[in-house]
Amino acid sequence: MTTHAPILDTQKAKSEQPKNYLNCSSGFWSWAGTLDHKRIGIMYLIGTGLAFLAGGLFALLVRLHLWEPNGMLFTNDQYNEIFTLHGAFMVFLFVIPAIPGSLGNMILPLMLGAKDVALPRLNLLSFYLWVMGAVLAALAIVLGGFDTGWTFYAPYSLYTNKAVVTIGLGIFLLGFSSIFTGLNFIVTTHKLRAPGLTWFRMPLFVWALYATALLQVLATPVLGITVLLVAFERLYHIGIFDPRLGGDPVLFEHFFWFYSHPAVYIMVLPAFGIISELVSVHSRKPLFGYKLIAFSSLAIAIISFLVWGHHMFTSGQSTYAMFAFSFLTFFVAIPTAIKEFSWVATIWKGSIALNSPMLYTLAFLIIFAIGGLTGVILGALNVDLHLHDTYFVVAHFHYVMMGSIALAFFAGLHHWWPKMFGVMYNETLAKIACVTIFVGFNVTFLPQFEMGSQGMPRRYATYVPEFQPYHSASTVGAIILGSGVALMVSYLVASLFIGKKAMQNQWGGVTLDWLTPTPPPLENFAHAPKVTTEVYDYSTLDLKSTQTPIG
Amino acid sequence: MLAQLIQDPAKAAAALSRAPKPELDAYGQLPKLASTFDHVDGLFYFTYAVCIFFFVLILGVLLFSVVKYRRKTFDQPPASNTTHNTPLEVVWTVIPLIIVMVMFAWGFKGCLDMTTVPQAASQNTYKATAMQWNWTFTYPNHPVKSSGAVWLEVDKPAQFLLESEDVLHAFYIPSMRVKRDVVPGRYQTVWFTPTQCGEFHLFCAEYCGEQHSQMYAKVHVVTAEEFAKAPWNTFDDSTPALAAKSGENIYKALCSACHTVNGQSVLAPSWGGDKGLFTKKDGNVVGRARQVVENGQAKTVVADEAYIRESIRMPLAKLAADFAAKANMNAFGPDKLSDRELNAVIEYMKSLAQ
Repeated sequence: MTTHAPILDTQKAKSEQPKNYLNCSSGFWSWAGTLDHKRIGIMYLIGTGLAFLAGGLFALLVRLHLWEPNGMLFTNDQYNEIFTLHGAFMVFLFVIPAIPGSLGNMILPLMLGAKDVALPRLNLLSFYLWVMGAVLAALAIVLGGFDTGWTFYAPYSLYTNKAVVTIGLGIFLLGFSSIFTGLNFIVTTHKLRAPGLTWFRMPLFVWALYATALLQVLATPVLGITVLLVAFERLYHIGIFDPRLGGDPVLFEHFFWFYSHPAVYIMVLPAFGIISELVSVHSRKPLFGYKLIAFSSLAIAIISFLVWGHHMFTSGQSTYAMFAFSFLTFFVAIPTAIKEFSWVATIWKGSIALNSPMLYTLAFLIIFAIGGLTGVILGALNVDLHLHDTYFVVAHFHYVMMGSIALAFFAGLHHWWPKMFGVMYNETLAKIACVTIFVGFNVTFLPQFEMGSQGMPRRYATYVPEFQPYHSASTVGAIILGSGVALMVSYLVASLFIGKKAMQNQWGGVTLDWLTPTPPPLENFAHAPKVTTEVYDYSTLDLKSTQTPIG
Repeated sequence: MLAQLIQDPAKAAAALSRAPKPELDAYGQLPKLASTFDHVDGLFYFTYAVCIFFFVLILGVLLFSVVKYRRKTFDQPPASNTTHNTPLEVVWTVIPLIIVMVMFAWGFKGCLDMTTVPQAASQNTYKATAMQWNWTFTYPNHPVKSSGAVWLEVDKPAQFLLESEDVLHAFYIPSMRVKRDVVPGRYQTVWFTPTQCGEFHLFCAEYCGEQHSQMYAKVHVVTAEEFAKAPWNTFDDSTPALAAKSGENIYKALCSACHTVNGQSVLAPSWGGDKGLFTKKDGNVVGRARQVVENGQAKTVVADEAYIRESIRMPLAKLAADFAAKANMNAFGPDKLSDRELNAVIEYMKSLAQ
């Protein structure tokens, strides 16, 4: 897809308009009060990035503590707070908002050929709600911490004498941040597509963000209601979840997972979108089964509302409910498998550039295969009764959340970094970091599958000694993983100061985001682009002009 | 030990290799099966094999493509621009669909087996009571309960009624492949037939607070002759020494998750040490003076039998001053700790006097 006269036109525009969105204005309020989707995206990137580093630090503390069966660093109480902080920070402050908030905000309007999102003020409000949620989470640590696990299961969350109400309020606000972002993306996608950009010419990252946005708008209110009920229950003892007052703790689980299962797809669908873009660009090949991938995103979004009960197979729900939830859970495996196969088929017979975004993408494809396949093991009812709440589940969802979603985020970050900042990071260091993260991740979590299937329960501050070899291996892996992430952060930050100037179309992409100057000007496009070709049509790419590195 | 690993990796590795080995099945992924639920293992290994097959397939195609189709010049076009292959897409939709439907049916059949309690098991019903942070078991045909350990007869189906006194817990015996949440305000049931004699872990698998990881019980599966001797019935208070010994057993099962006897008051006041409950004075064991908070008023009391009894039956009446803000001990009424058992515990406390 290109404009009438793509390259020349924008080159000319660039020389007339040397200012870009980064240097067009300066000062604190030019950022804090900005309505520009790119600046808001950068602020999200910084915020969620810091949350990721904090959550990662908590994870390292957890792993170091578990080096020994009796725990090495903390009392049990402190351990419980730290694993709760790890989960809550990672889920609510990083994995849910990171991709839509940073890369989504940055790239979605560019891909649609729009000046901005449809509702720029709402976009800024979303970000400030995120900030307030983060502040409340930090405040909750100061006010005594919270030790409920990120799941806040009643009745423990009702009885514990910690700052549950504060973090609950934080999650309530974060929920609205997520809802507003979703709403904004839905409206933007419907109303601001460039002329000629029909629904089936939209890049798959846009499709994925659209499916995500539907989930954010429809599912998140349930989470808001649930944490509000927990707060009311703690403050006024209204008797919804507390069995001592006639409430039902299992009802809490239903409410919680009615949001939190779709939330898994709120987290993972944007990652799928990034991977769809990257396999196509870096294989320089149209995406295999474009429509099937687009529809499978929607299919996953719909089915994901109907599988929450698979988190509760041991809770004593009726056999009929288990029948339905298990059946639908297996069903969700199919669109997911279709995606994985389509990505692999895209790479097959492509023109594969082994640069750092592609390395992260390949790491994603391998890790996500393991994460998805082990999910199939957990879908089987009788097997789940053995594996539920063990480290097998911990390993499975880390393969999806950390190994897949965070790696897809890293892949997207490396892919669009030159577009966002106009500079390139050090490719050699990037490849070393990617391999380190991949190795460290697998050394951390493969042993957890082993000990989980052998019966090691999760959320244990201490454990029986026979699991020590697995725990120790996992701790070594976490240290490797942590050093890989530290390296990545260092060279990315360093590139802002010493990075080489990036090209306009660094990787040879043909979606509209690569048509703007690098970095883009304030309102993105000198003229509204007009789309005349099908999506991912690389025959229009002027290879000489991009000089795409071969990697 | 982490420092040791860096300084002397060989020694650390040797220490690790001395860790007790779990008893695993022939394929090394699951604990050795000790119940009749072999369909769990069957389906687990079936799905495991299917996963490995698909994983190797995906990995193989990826690695092959990266080697074979790597871009060598910057303008190298792809070897193919195919975007559709309907037969292929149908195949990779339908075959996984068939496979997962087999897994679903197999899993559901197994689940029905695990949730349908047979007559023989319901006639052999135990009760497992979970509280923060211990397990107490009531037996089908014996009046004496046991805490922290349970005895079962081999090859005899058993049902457990699960009840919780406080928050969610989960009853999990990996070797038996059974797990069920214990939900306050209702009974849950779980059943299995132990097929191997031996000792097995019973873990709490649902996060239940501070000492969640210490909420452990040992499952003893014994022969019918051994079971008839009721090996859990060890309570004997015929002499003060035997009573103290029985009290110590009760302490280990019910109290040791929070209270130590070595003078370290981390989670709750320690019973022993130089600030323990009792002290020796002129050859007599007497209660120590103790700072407490009663109705918000700080005061000093003597930790005598009356105080201890009240602190067990009604823990919130007088709070130890150092732990007054925490105040999270559960009450142990006569249903959990009979008067004779309570006396035995006090006898044990007295034996700790220094």
